[in-house]
Amino acid sequence: MTPLQHYLALSVALFCIGAWGVLARRNIIVVVMCLELMLNAVNVALVAFSNYSQVIPGRGEVFVFFVLGVAAAEVAVGLSIGIAMYRLRERLKVDELDEMKG
Amino acid sequence: MNEFSSAAFYPVAVMVLAAAVLVVSFKNLIYSALAMIACFAGVAALFVLLHAELLASAQILLYVGAISILILFAIMLTRNRGGEVKLFFHQQAWMAIPVVAIVGLILIIVIGSAHYNAADTAQNPGTKDLASMLFNQYAFPFELVSLVLLVAIVGAILLAKKEKIK
Repeated sequence: MTPLQHYLALSVALFCIGAWGVLARRNIIVVVMCLELMLNAVNVALVAFSNYSQVIPGRGEVFVFFVLGVAAAEVAVGLSIGIAMYRLRERLKVDELDEMKG
Repeated sequence: MNEFSSAAFYPVAVMVLAAAVLVVSFKNLIYSALAMIACFAGVAALFVLLHAELLASAQILLYVGAISILILFAIMLTRNRGGEVKLFFHQQAWMAIPVVAIVGLILIIVIGSAHYNAADTAQNPGTKDLASMLFNQYAFPFELVSLVLLVAIVGAILLAKKEKIK
């Protein structure tokens, strides 16, 4: 059986790649995609913990269902913000949104 | 199943990580989205290896099916005109690498130093037990998620709708 730590290491690596994308890319759609990668990394960790849990196996899986629902909502809102932003100025760069800079 | 799952973990893990790196590094948005689909499919395979078959099918339906199509639609609706050329290797991208490396190092240290009471035989319950858990013990949060989705759909339509010209 694969040790739990290997699943957690994979989860950390996936999370870090997603965070790198969120910080490094400037296109808002790519940022949303990288956020999804980070959420998937957390899901992998939750399912792995749930699978190896001695107390109540399956509780992590229930939690992942809620994460899936919130992730779907987040993608819908994020992409519609991107589309509204494109309609306003025909650009999608995140760092051009600086009107509210103090 | 156990021997197979421990042998299959490493190729799937390499596939997931390679696809994730490609998502970040492709300049073409369509390629990025396709790599993201591969990554999500790999995560679904990981769920199967972890005995979470229901979640694997939900992952394929939701991520590989719905969210990818949504993202592809958004890419097509927002076709960039001459942008996206020097989007990647700007100053901020290089600053992001040490930040992410530090976060990853901290997480790896935490994982390595923690003590686990991991069971050798325990595994995720089947669909029947999961469903009874979801609809008895966690029924209220489950319904709350549907409310969140409803609000998100209404908000998304409101945001993306064309303004009326008066």
